[in-house]
Parts: sequence; C-alpha cells; structure tokens
Amino acid sequence: MKSVPMLSSAFLAPAGQSLPQPLLELRQQRGTALVDMPLPTRKTENWKYSSRYLQLTDAIAASLPVSDRIDTPLAKVPGYQVVIRNGVMVPSASTLPAVEGVTISRFADLSDEVASSLAERLDNTLDANAVQLARLNTARFEDGLYIRLAPEAVLDQPLFIIYETDASQSGSAYPRLYVEAGHHSQATIVEEFLSTGSEAALVNAVSEFTLADSAQITNVRLSADGESVQHIGATGARLQGHARFESHCVGFGGPLRRHDLQVRLEKPGAECLLNGAVVTQGRQHYDNHTTIEHIAPHCNSEENYRNIAAGQSHAIFRGRIHIHRDAQKSNGHMNNKNLLLSSGAEIDTKPELEIYADDVKCAHGATIGQLDEESLFYLVARGIPRREAQTLLTMAFINELIQQIPVAAVRDASLPRLNQFIDQTFEEA
Amino acid sequence: MLSIKNLHASVEGKQILNGLSLEIKAGEVHAIMGPNGSGKSTLSQVLAGNEAFEVTEGEVLMDGTNLLDKATEVRAQEGLFLAFQYPVEIPGVSNMQFLHTSVNALRKHRGEPELNAAEFIKLARETSKQVDLDPSFLKRGVNEGFSGGEKKRNEIMQALLLQPRLAILDETDSGLDIDALKVVSDGVNALRSADRAILMITHYQRLLNYIVPDFVHVLSEGKIIKSGGRELALELEERGYGWLGIKDDAETAS
Ligand SMILES: Nc1ncnc2c1ncn2[C@@H]1O[C@H](COP(=O)(O)OP(=O)(O)OP(=O)(O)O)[C@@H](O)[C@H]1O
Ligand SMILES: [Mg+2]
Repeated sequence: MKSVPMLSSAFLAPAGQSLPQPLLELRQQRGTALVDMPLPTRKTENWKYSSRYLQLTDAIAASLPVSDRIDTPLAKVPGYQVVIRNGVMVPSASTLPAVEGVTISRFADLSDEVASSLAERLDNTLDANAVQLARLNTARFEDGLYIRLAPEAVLDQPLFIIYETDASQSGSAYPRLYVEAGHHSQATIVEEFLSTGSEAALVNAVSEFTLADSAQITNVRLSADGESVQHIGATGARLQGHARFESHCVGFGGPLRRHDLQVRLEKPGAECLLNGAVVTQGRQHYDNHTTIEHIAPHCNSEENYRNIAAGQSHAIFRGRIHIHRDAQKSNGHMNNKNLLLSSGAEIDTKPELEIYADDVKCAHGATIGQLDEESLFYLVARGIPRREAQTLLTMAFINELIQQIPVAAVRDASLPRLNQFIDQTFEEA
Repeated sequence: MLSIKNLHASVEGKQILNGLSLEIKAGEVHAIMGPNGSGKSTLSQVLAGNEAFEVTEGEVLMDGTNLLDKATEVRAQEGLFLAFQYPVEIPGVSNMQFLHTSVNALRKHRGEPELNAAEFIKLARETSKQVDLDPSFLKRGVNEGFSGGEKKRNEIMQALLLQPRLAILDETDSGLDIDALKVVSDGVNALRSADRAILMITHYQRLLNYIVPDFVHVLSEGKIIKSGGRELALELEERGYGWLGIKDDAETAS
C-alpha cells in the first residue's frame, strides 16, 4: 500500500511573534491536531484537480520574516487602508478609520480578555472537514486583523486590506481576518493579495465574517499574487436574520490558486450574492469551491462565477447549494459560465444542488464556450485588429461581473489589469 | 475602384458564387437585386473577408491591389465597409466602446491622431442624431436589444462615422418603416461623393426612389445575369424575375 503523504512537521513550528496568551494557546492546540494530517491527494474529492499543484515542501515551511519596510509604493487607495505584510500588520503603512462603533485591532494588541473570546470563535464560520488547510492558518498565524462593528455602526468608506507577500526568499505567510458585524452595521471590505519577489512561497489566508441581524457586508477579494506563490484561501460567513453578504472575487491565475468560500444563511431573510471572475493563462491553475448553506427558511442566494482559461491552463468551479430540511421558501440561483480561449486549456465545472426542503426555488446552469466567431467578424469588419477584437469580446464576458463590484476604485483598477492579462493571452496564441 | 473578375466562392463545400464579374468606379452607385439564396450576401461577406466563405477562383482588385489577400481589418481600414444584413448583438461591449475603437483603428491606419473620449463622444452624438438614434443607444451593448430598424440605423451610423470609400449595404432597407427608410436613405445619400462608391443589395425598388442608382444588376445562381440602368429595377418590380428565365424561388439552384 502506498503511504499517504503527510503534512511535514516543518509546517508545525510557528515563528516567535508575540501574541496574547489565549491565541498562542489556540495556535498550539491547532498545531497539535495537525500532526500527521494527511495531505489531499487525487483521491480527495474536493482536491482531485489541485492536489498535484499543492507543493508543501519544507523549503516553504518557515514563516516569511516580518518587516515593516515597504519596498513597493502601494497605490493610494480611496478609503481606509491596512497593510499586512507576510501576515503581520504594518501600522506605519496603515490608515485606520476614526468612526464611531468601528474597532480595528491587530491580534498582537488584543487584551487577554478580548483575545480569549476571539479564540473561542476563530474557525467557527468554516467547515473544518471541507477546508482542512484553513486549520493550518490557525496553527501558524503570526498576527491578524480583528474588526468589530458595533450595532448600527456604518463604515463610511471602503477599508482596503492589502496583503503583501515578500517572496524574495522562500517561506510562507498566514494572513488572518475576523470581522464581527453587529446588527444593522454596514461595511465594505476589500482584500487584495499581492506579492513581490520570485522565490517559492505559500500564502494560506483565512477571512471570517459574522453578520448579526440586518448587518450588511460587502467583501471584495482580489487575488493577484505572483507566479512563485501558491495561494490557498478560505472565506467563511455566517448570517443572522435579514443580513446580507456580498462577495466579489477577481482572480488572476498562478501555479496554485485555491479559494473556498462558505456561506451559512442561518436565520430567515438572510441573503448572499457571490460573484467571481477568474482568468488563467500559460500553465496556471485556479480552483474555486463555494458552498451556500440554506439553513433557515426564506433566505436568498445568488451566485455568478465566470472563468476564462487560455494557454494550457486549468480552471475549476465547484459550487454547492445545500438546502436544509427546514429551509422552506429558499431561493437559490447559481450560474457558471466559462470561456475557453485555447484548445489546450481545461475547465471543469460542477454545480451541485442538494435539496431537502420541498417548497424551494432553485436553479443552476453551467456553460463552457468559445469566442463567438460571428461577433469577432463583426468587430474585425469594422477595422478593429483581430487581437484587439478578441480582447474586447473576452473582457465583455467578465465585464458584467466587474461592473457589479460596488467600489469604483476596484473596478477602475481591475479592468486595465484584466485587459492587459487577457491581451497577453492572445499574443501567445 | 472595385473590380471583381470571375469570382467563385463556396461555403461548407457548397458552391454559391459561380463566376461573378462586376466593375464599380468611384462616384457610382450600384444596386444588386436577385431572388433569395442567389448569393447576394455571400458576395458581400466574401468582399468583407469572412473566412467561412472560401474563394475557389477569380480575383477582386480594390484600387488596383488584391483585396482577397488582405485581412478583414485591413480591408476595413483601407475603406471597405459592409452594412450587415443581420447585425450581430454583442452584450458586454458598449456601442460607444465599439465605435470608438473602430474609428480610432481607421484613424491610426491613416496616420491621423486618435480621438480621445470627449472628442469621440461629441462626434458620436452628432452622428447618432443624423440617423435619428437617441444618443442613449451609445451606452447599450452593441446592437443589444435593438429593434430591426434600430440595428439598420446603427449600421448607417457606422458608415457615417467611418466614411468608407466603398460602402456595401446588404438589405439595409429591409424591415424599415417609411420614416426610417427616409432617414437611412438620407444617410446613404450623405455618403455619396465623387471619390466614393456604393453597392446596395435590395429586394425593393422603393429604396431606389430615394437612392437613385447608376446601375442595377440581377444576380441569379451566383452570377450576374443582367445589368441595366435605373429602369431595370422598375421592370423587375412589375414583371418579377420570371421573364429573365429564373424562377422566383431558390429551388432552381441545383
Ligand atoms: N454559412 C453558411 N452555411 C451554409 N450555407 C450557407 C451559408 N451562408 C449561406 N449559405 C447558403 O448560400 C446560399 C446563398 O445565400 P446568401 O445569403 O448569399 O443569399 P442571398 O442572396 O443574400 O439571399 P437573401 O435574399 O435571402 O438574403 C443560400 O442557399 C444559403 O443557404
Ligand atoms: Mg442576403
């Protein structure tokens, strides 16, 4: 019998950042639980396409060093900003809001009392069986961001959290976010993942959101780490009555990109919108898994994911809607559209509906297509060079989702980047 | 300006054009009529460069150079324009973005400076009024949800923006009400000039009351079987195609 690969013990040694005692204990506890954790293989259902890209080598096991030096000037963002470098907050590069009812703290600064209540809740939004590797984040985080919105607090401008990974040497980073939104509170939180340097590195990021009654959170996630970075991310959200969670993910491919998004609609009237747009080229790999749990009756979910795969790349979408027995009058809509830009590219899509209630409206659809030749001819017949026409049509395919991102600065920054990325794929062709 | 000699073309192995020849000089307006399926749209698509159609024999010269060797976009940049019989809907690309990109591609080819957004919007607004399209159409997806008549007006608007040397209009008059026909004809007449040529494909002689052609040709089974002046169209309207030895349906082709 072939032995199952295990997580190397090198991954179970966190670095020495100072954290409040309760968080250190939690980390220790999670670390112990991960000893001899089997790594996903091709036979692991939710990793079957991606396990071979997961390279958890000892070379990247050590934490990337902490530094508050900023080498690359970050674009000035219109709003509040927190910079997390190699998983640790850089206060000198951050601009925090002074808004009543909004408390943003780094884990390192929490009192033992607050840290102890946080430690009890960390990981509670995520299904550990589905996102085993998120536990590695909890075993390894060196810092984290804890955002509390008091009841009715409204963050007046978006908060940009910029996770920068310095891959000028090999190692790993474990950024962590926990957002607690009180009833009727509102905030828009943009998370952007970037990296510099070209050594092999791992980013294992976990973001969690809890939304009390009627809270509204918009979460934008831009995944744009470099070519030497494996990125494994998990986002979890739990919603109480009439809360609304909007997630907009924009992802650029890499050697391994994996994002698990799990949303639980736990009380009547809760609703979520999950949008995602992914582009891959060359030999890149991108794997999105989403799960929506309709637990309470009268909840709504809508989901739209689009993949564009060029070159020899591989994009995967697995979307699961699970309607529990008591979740009558649920509305669930899932749509996944895919565009293959070359014959060497591969797209796998698996929408899954699991319905245990009888009075629900649920629909899903998935398509895989190519650029429409007739449309292409129409554009080219107006003098538009073929490559530009291909880029225009490809952009049109995801533009619809980008236009739904409710932060103009994100749209304005994403569109040219997507355009450039897509244009490049036609150069190679 | 355009010289078509013995053109043969096929699509999916089916021969459609069977030795078509036609000479068009600058300043002239030609009309092509002919029964359904006789190859009128095939001719226009072949001239524009649609690769679904294969040219099996013959040649086409535009301004003395071989047109068929050129990529579709180059033909357009050098002044060939086709108003499609069935304009394509492209959701996600705004009409504005499409037209701006197109106008600038042609300007670039001519060595002219590109128009910035403000300059282009001004030009596009004026031109849209010329074809009686509300400027709000510019914000919508290309032809997305346009009515038949709006699509045709959009085609003429593009011709006015791009100022082609040779405009091929494939049934731009079909499906238009009488007011729209007037608007479209005015647009086409505005294009008429001594250094431009127009090739109109139509089933109706009423268009020719508005845009008076210099020549009328009858296409049947992929060949021009009769040419004449303006009066030929009137005669066709009165007598149909039967007297020319063609049946009025496409069944004859075999
Ligand atoms: N893409 C295609 N595949 C197969 N057959 C085609 C294709 N395009 C055209 N044809 C065939 O070629 C013939 C000529 O078509 P074409 O569209 O050129 O006719 P037309 O003269 O423009 O007719 P109409 O007056 O109806 O517009 C028809 O029999 C048509 O079915
Ligand atoms: Mg036709």
